[in-house]
Amino acid sequence: MSALTILLDANVNSSANYFQIGIQLLVAIGIVIVMMVASHLLGPKRSTSEKLENFASGIESHGNARAPMAIKYFLVAILFVLFDVEVIFFYPYAVNFKELGWTGFWEVLLFVAFFLVGFIYIIKKKALQWED
Amino acid sequence: MQHIWIVLGVLFVLLNIAAGLIWLERRMLAMWQDRLGPNRAGPLGILIVLADTLKLFFKEDWIPPFADKWVFITAPAIVVASVLMSFVIIPFSPSIIVSDLNVGILFFLAMSSLGVYSIVLGGWASNNKYSLLGALRGASQMIAYEVFMGLSLMGIVMLTGSFKLSDIVNAQKDVWFVFKQPVALVIFFIAGVAETHRLPFDIPEAESELIAGFHSEYSGMKFGMFFIGEYLGVTLISAMTATMFFGGWLGPAFLPPWAWFFIKTFAFILFFILLRASLPRPRYDQLMETGWKVLLPLVLLNLMVTGAIALWIRG
Amino acid sequence: MFCKNKTCNTIHYSPLTIHNYYMSDASAILTSLHQQFDAVTFVPQQTVDNIDTLWLPKENIVAVVRYLKNTISAPFNLLYDLCGIDERDRMGKEKLPAKDFTVIYSLFSLDRNKFIRLKVALEGEYPSIPSITSLFKNANWYEREVYDMFGIKFEGHPHLQRILMPLTWQGHPLRKEHPARATEIGPYRLINETIDREQDALQFKPEEWGMKRESDDADFMFLNIGPQHPGTHGVLRIVLQLDGEDIVDAVPEIGFHHRGAEKMGERQSWHTYIPYTDRIDYLGGVMNNLAYLLAVEKLAGIEVPDRVKVIRVMLCELFRISSHLVWFGTFAQDVGQLSPVFYMFTDREKVFDIIEAVCGGRMHPNWFRIGGVAQDLPKGWDGLVRDFVKYFPPKIKEYTNMVIRNSLFKGRTKGIGVYTLDEAIEWGVTGPGLRACGLDWDFRKKQPYSGYEMFDFEIPTAQNGDCFDRAVVRVEELWQSLRIIEQCLNNMPEGNYKADHPLTTPPLKKYTMQDIETLITHFLNVSWGPVIPAGEAMSCIEATKGANSYYLVSDGNTSSYRTRIRTPSFPHMQMVPYVSKGYTVADLLSILGSVDFVLADIDR
Repeated sequence: MSALTILLDANVNSSANYFQIGIQLLVAIGIVIVMMVASHLLGPKRSTSEKLENFASGIESHGNARAPMAIKYFLVAILFVLFDVEVIFFYPYAVNFKELGWTGFWEVLLFVAFFLVGFIYIIKKKALQWED
Repeated sequence: MQHIWIVLGVLFVLLNIAAGLIWLERRMLAMWQDRLGPNRAGPLGILIVLADTLKLFFKEDWIPPFADKWVFITAPAIVVASVLMSFVIIPFSPSIIVSDLNVGILFFLAMSSLGVYSIVLGGWASNNKYSLLGALRGASQMIAYEVFMGLSLMGIVMLTGSFKLSDIVNAQKDVWFVFKQPVALVIFFIAGVAETHRLPFDIPEAESELIAGFHSEYSGMKFGMFFIGEYLGVTLISAMTATMFFGGWLGPAFLPPWAWFFIKTFAFILFFILLRASLPRPRYDQLMETGWKVLLPLVLLNLMVTGAIALWIRG
Repeated sequence: MFCKNKTCNTIHYSPLTIHNYYMSDASAILTSLHQQFDAVTFVPQQTVDNIDTLWLPKENIVAVVRYLKNTISAPFNLLYDLCGIDERDRMGKEKLPAKDFTVIYSLFSLDRNKFIRLKVALEGEYPSIPSITSLFKNANWYEREVYDMFGIKFEGHPHLQRILMPLTWQGHPLRKEHPARATEIGPYRLINETIDREQDALQFKPEEWGMKRESDDADFMFLNIGPQHPGTHGVLRIVLQLDGEDIVDAVPEIGFHHRGAEKMGERQSWHTYIPYTDRIDYLGGVMNNLAYLLAVEKLAGIEVPDRVKVIRVMLCELFRISSHLVWFGTFAQDVGQLSPVFYMFTDREKVFDIIEAVCGGRMHPNWFRIGGVAQDLPKGWDGLVRDFVKYFPPKIKEYTNMVIRNSLFKGRTKGIGVYTLDEAIEWGVTGPGLRACGLDWDFRKKQPYSGYEMFDFEIPTAQNGDCFDRAVVRVEELWQSLRIIEQCLNNMPEGNYKADHPLTTPPLKKYTMQDIETLITHFLNVSWGPVIPAGEAMSCIEATKGANSYYLVSDGNTSSYRTRIRTPSFPHMQMVPYVSKGYTVADLLSILGSVDFVLADIDR
């Protein structure tokens, strides 16, 4: 709980910091828009039949590219979500690690152990194995 | 007002570095490959940067009819904007920093993880099989390596007790973190290469397999944006490596702090290019396996060992 | 015929004689075949290449091939080549059992180190013959090619479709009535309708190949790789059936590089065909000349001087190095290593410096001639070669460290694209691909030609038959080639660079200014080219990529009646789908790179 409050404390930042980020965001997006629009206005417009087809190594493309894909990719993505959520708990621990001392260390070690159990389970289930 | 000047200055310098990298990378690759590289326009061919940029501006702004128009346009914009945003928290010198957030590292991780959207959206919008495969590879690769990238930096956070980058730099006054966290450096850099999908981890593009991967259908300035995004990403990871592990702007006083920062960053940019010149590309599943089965346990171990040693020293 | 020409041998056909049928081994096979198939009439034919040649009726071909492959001891287990001949215009065919068409099966026995040639005479405009695809995996493409070129149908073939020509093609090119020149067909116009028709024909229909569009739990993606793709090393098309990134099946489509080299052989004179051979395996340069000329010289009965042999060997081995360097660099690039290709092409330039000094040409020197080489070696050649022999060894070491010992490279190639020795033989694999399976088979050693028996070299092998081992074997071959070149350098015999024989080209000029007979002979031999005596001969050399053969049929004319080019890349490419099943898209690139093919060598 203390970790969370400290994390929340972090948000109580001087608003000036975020003002600059806002400026940076505006300018960055501005740059992107200017580049795109300038190239849109400057570039020629020549439509030829070749450009109308998507590239498939010189053969007319066959079928829809947006076909259902293998489940493995999604599996990796979902595992990422799981692990990333778990990993996030390390962040507040890391920043408060000195205050939490040895007690905190043993607790986190326990957490890592749980984490690893899940991880080993996944490996045993061959969820990360790409080839069948 | 000063803030605005810093923002404009930083962005100006960054865009010039990104453009300059076009030239630098081609010259360096050429040097390492016993070639000449661009050498016609201007001294040492440096004006190729100008020529390339102008060429991109005057290319046709083509959106294929089979593509999803708005997604197709948004994808390259995201990568440039998100990487530019990441630079907000980089301390170029004690005084030159857009915003010294106390959640600096978190902000960096958040912004750099947005990059994956540009790959997925670009690949999906293109409605091309190579693009789609590239996008799927890119997505899996980038999200996997993000886990380790964040974790690899936590050792340093433990040692400094802060997410703030200026604190981290100042904590390196005596010893750079590279000596305290060597494993973290290796993992962070590997994850960084994977995040920027540069050779040897250019698997989403993998020229000899997927033509140009997720940006096969892109041309003109929109392709140029992916290009600039990639170079900005290289600069970002190099700058982060320099800041986190090599003392950022710290250095002997005969050079100003920002000069030290740029020298260090430049060294890592060169290292990126050297990697590209020398290593073959692992296979997609090998990259994923290494990530999950080697780097993840290793990074956890690094955290625990760091914690144990730090507590033990403190007693 | 112009028989004022003194050198013109009168046309005589190889006598069909059973009683003097030579050599015990051959007659042993014939005897056992007679015992096994007592009702069948085998008609032996003697050919100048001393390969046992038997004519047999088409009903028995499958049984005989099965017998030769499966039943006899030391079996003929490799289908070396399968081709056709349109016999309808052949002069003097009355003396043979030939009818309208002939299908020729060249089998090879690795145990006996012997070829056997089975011929089946076919009658009719579009005849048919039973397929042997059930016996040999690699018969599939060969039979498709014969069908494509001659219109001969193979009963029982799983997918008899054109292979080299476009599906829309009219006629069968190697039939004698098919035009051989563009001027006989009329100008070609590419109009929109044509483009649409051709593109339609190129559409891949999985059902035609017996492929499903979806499995129980996912749709397959059909990914088109090529003909315009950076990873295919030329105009090759492979359609992949993918489950995620895993290759379920693959269908290579070849023929985009087909230029009708075999048809051109029937128009060009024996001499003027030499430059066309350069372009078959375009990385092999003069090595193609050698394969062709060995067959021509067998027909003409020319024995070349030792100097010619050694010069030829030296040039061939230089080209082997140059070809392997291209393979090495591009292979590294295929797995994503960008730099080696630049270093290796630089070294290739050094090889080309020698080749250019000797031949004047680089990739296509067209330098060997019937009975010799075009010119003697230039002054100072030995200095160039000696420099190279000194320069190159550290480079090979450097590249081995850079590529072969790189662990990422190992990760991409070890255990990838594995095939066993049996599978390799079944699919007709020769060259480094065969040696990587543990068999030290090299035609330079096993059936020495052009004086290879005089040289001291080893045959590198490896055991696992994966991409990595194929790479290791080729790198080791660089060392061996260098050894051979060094021996050529130190032991170059004195003598003439051309055989003293009336059929050599360009013809001998010694006495042309002294008497009218030789002047006329010379004139005719220059303008029409030599008349090679009737007969049949096949050469077989160890080319850069495997066994390369020219099977030439002469009916006593100024050009060949049939030129059959057996190239190594053709069966190797045919094997790619079989090898790549179950691997990923990225592995396919490793496999393609390790096979080391050249599209012109596949398509001819």
